[in-house]
Amino acid sequence: MRILIVDDSAMMRAMIKRVIKLADVPVESILEASNGREGLELLQKHEVQLLLTDINMPVMTGAEMLREIAGNDRWRGMSRVIISTDGSTVRREEAADLDVRCYLEKPFSPEVLRDVLNELADNEVAETD
Amino acid sequence: MSSTNSRTTKLPKLTNPEAASAMFEAVRAVAEQSFFAVAEPSDDRSFGVAAIQVPRWLVATVGFEQGPLAGSVSCTLPERLANGLFDAFTGRDPSDPAPTSTLVYDLVGEFSNMVCGAWLTRVEGSRTFTLSHPSVEPAVKPGTAGDLRLVAAIDDLPVAVDLRLLPLGRVNGVPQA
Repeated sequence: MRILIVDDSAMMRAMIKRVIKLADVPVESILEASNGREGLELLQKHEVQLLLTDINMPVMTGAEMLREIAGNDRWRGMSRVIISTDGSTVRREEAADLDVRCYLEKPFSPEVLRDVLNELADNEVAETD
Repeated sequence: MSSTNSRTTKLPKLTNPEAASAMFEAVRAVAEQSFFAVAEPSDDRSFGVAAIQVPRWLVATVGFEQGPLAGSVSCTLPERLANGLFDAFTGRDPSDPAPTSTLVYDLVGEFSNMVCGAWLTRVEGSRTFTLSHPSVEPAVKPGTAGDLRLVAAIDDLPVAVDLRLLPLGRVNGVPQA
């Protein structure tokens, strides 16, 4: 599985990478971007199976990036997870409209993210079978 | 305990006791869930006594817009606490090389980002918001209190969280997307 992490905090990206390595997820490689624009550029170049993205970022927000992704069939099969401080009901409803499979609100413990990753990996295997 | 200035009476929704309580709950949630640290309420006197012993602080500020409301949240914490939070967040072993100031600043910015977002979600959970990229600066002492100041102790070290309200459309002086 190739994973893309989009967050403007290098430390948050590092923390997410650390949790991914602790999770029971088959990882081929982990890509990183610091905003939605960089994330889209990486998605144009690489096949990604799982996207983990923040919402509030400079240059292009996670919501703007997800809207572009939702409008392109190329990324239809990619799992999308939002990791954001914005826990508002409006943002969660918007995420549901953008085919986001999980909405993880910051702050969160590493164990919560690990469980989400394991569940997504299990679903991926079940869908493949 | 918190202290407020005269602007409190004009903007009760963000600076009333419930909002101050929500700010402490936001600080506690961030400290405990993401940094494995213990946050406790404090008061102005205890904060002042503890602050005298702190030689160097970091101030991380995040601007926000939430509907008609705009402002910023600043977290002021001792550099020593910032380094401790860094170790907890990254799993760094104390025997490893010390992190660069750039990484510590990034982490303190993320701490402030989480506090601001968690607080906004608590005070107005039905409304989405935008946050600016955090700015982090060193300081030799805490600045003046904002429209609302919350003081707390994280791992027994003093922390101040200041809310400042701004005219709509300007977050840290920069128009936001």
